[in-house]
Amino acid sequence: MRKPVIKVSALILLLTILMMLTGTAAFAQTDQHIYDQAGLLTDSEISDLEAYAAEKSREQGTEFLLLTTDSTSGMPIIDYMGDFYDNLADQTGMENAVLLTIDIGGREFYLAGFGNAKTRLDNERVEMVLDRITPYMAQGQYAGAFRETIETADRYMEYKPGVNPESIFLQTWFHAAVALILAGGIVGTMLYNSGGRNTTTAATYIDRDHTRVTRDSDRFRNKTVTRRRIPKNNNSGGGFGGGGGMTGGGRSFSGGGRSF
Amino acid sequence: MVTHYKCPNCGSDMAFDATSGMLSCPNCGRQDDIETFPEENIQQKFAPEEAKEYHCENCGAVLLTEAETTATHCSFCGAPVVLADRLTGDLAPAKVIPFTISKDEAVAAFRKWTKNGRLTPRGFMNGDRIKKMTGMYVPFWLYDINGKAEVAAIGTRMRTYQQGDTVITETDFYDVYREIDLSYLKVPADASEKMDDELMDKLEPYDYSDLKDFRMPYLAGFLAEKYDFDEDALFSRVESKIVPYIDSYIGSTISGYSTISYTNKQINANKYKVYYTLFPVWMVYYDFENKEHTFAMNGQTGKVVGKPPISGGKVAAWFTGIAVSTFAALKAISYLVGGVLW
Ligand SMILES: [Zn+2]
Ligand SMILES: [Zn+2]
Repeated sequence: MRKPVIKVSALILLLTILMMLTGTAAFAQTDQHIYDQAGLLTDSEISDLEAYAAEKSREQGTEFLLLTTDSTSGMPIIDYMGDFYDNLADQTGMENAVLLTIDIGGREFYLAGFGNAKTRLDNERVEMVLDRITPYMAQGQYAGAFRETIETADRYMEYKPGVNPESIFLQTWFHAAVALILAGGIVGTMLYNSGGRNTTTAATYIDRDHTRVTRDSDRFRNKTVTRRRIPKNNNSGGGFGGGGGMTGGGRSFSGGGRSF
Repeated sequence: MVTHYKCPNCGSDMAFDATSGMLSCPNCGRQDDIETFPEENIQQKFAPEEAKEYHCENCGAVLLTEAETTATHCSFCGAPVVLADRLTGDLAPAKVIPFTISKDEAVAAFRKWTKNGRLTPRGFMNGDRIKKMTGMYVPFWLYDINGKAEVAAIGTRMRTYQQGDTVITETDFYDVYREIDLSYLKVPADASEKMDDELMDKLEPYDYSDLKDFRMPYLAGFLAEKYDFDEDALFSRVESKIVPYIDSYIGSTISGYSTISYTNKQINANKYKVYYTLFPVWMVYYDFENKEHTFAMNGQTGKVVGKPPISGGKVAAWFTGIAVSTFAALKAISYLVGGVLW
């Protein structure tokens, strides 16, 4: 009775190894998602976020990465980020990634989407994620900012490219509200009309031969002109690098950055 | 019926003076040509022995009919009625719309109506619990109304366009002025106290092409209610009925503006002709779950009004059905567009 159990265990072990191997091949999965060179996170935050990032990366087929630094050595944060990613991708063969870079020295942060994340987290969606993480950055909650980045980007990337994921028309509460209001309106009208409807109108008793305008005038009086400037899309912290770009290594990305 | 010519000066009954061939007033001496005598001053009254009046001791209804018709029960409450009087000298109706829907047709039309009740309980929809159906003529006053409206308003026309990163809104203001002649013909108001005004309003409209000069035989076999309110008492009701009509007509004469705000609106409406008229109504008494429900049917068009019982289950089912299917449809659309279900 023991032998079959051992056989089954061996088979499961073999399958697991196979799955891990194929998994690695398919997603080029890295075991590290957080490169906290500036030491902004505590050890427990890092281990929590590593686990969370690994889980979401597996689900999305896109690596969620965090890079922090004290200094970009005088380079623009976009170039610094690009060099880092070129390096990492060359080493690991990584293709799809969402990378949040925090330069604590220059007090700037930049979010970029590489590979399929370039379309699935396009420039508009990057700006929406930035809007959501800016408050965390301002308060120094860097772990919270990264968690929010993963959570929101993960959610947005489920939507078809080009669609605004925050559009009211895609929200469940909106669907529920419309359904309830419509049902209430129709059934209310049915109830109201159940005792018979008033079908006379303004036209029923009018005597068209003798109802008419006898004097009318429409005189121009005055004119007012108001001008309103369209507010620039820049948020308070000041945005830059919107629209993404290309790394030194020739990898194009979607992206946007903010100061804090 | 007896025709009375009311003196336009003093309201006395004028008499026909054979020597002059004119109508002359015994009170003030005014003389009028009978051919050109104003119609609104001619009144018909019941002649002796021509009409009878019944009283209902249960609900107090006063009913009248022609001499040959014998009434036994009240058309409102079904209680026995007692003969009160032979009517003489009472104002007779000037116009009538005769019944065009017979009792059998009325029963069939009512049954059909109960089947359309989407919110009524299943048992009600069989339409086979008609307890009683009585045809009666309900007294109405029909008013010919003319008047004038004078309105002043400020209208705006707005134009919005973009120039560079600036949105420019140009608003032109206009002084709008209208003087309007108003005329409404034969606007009805029911003169019966017992009849629910809202119910009677919903029975409208009647087709006035069938409006006939009143003759006694129209009453044969039918009861008519006697009017409780005279023409002056009801005019305010008719006024409140036509004010929304007038407002909407005024609105239709001012077009092409983005916004309109009235600075002055004066409406003056007067009745210049009134017709005492009988409209045909079938009263339907329907038993359902030990309760009697009363409905009224337009005896000319078959339109049914009255509050039917409502099934809470059906209301809930309709509500849920519409809400769920709308929700599902919106979800499906948003899935097609956005690629995400939740
Ligand atoms: Zn007189
Ligand atoms: Zn009665």
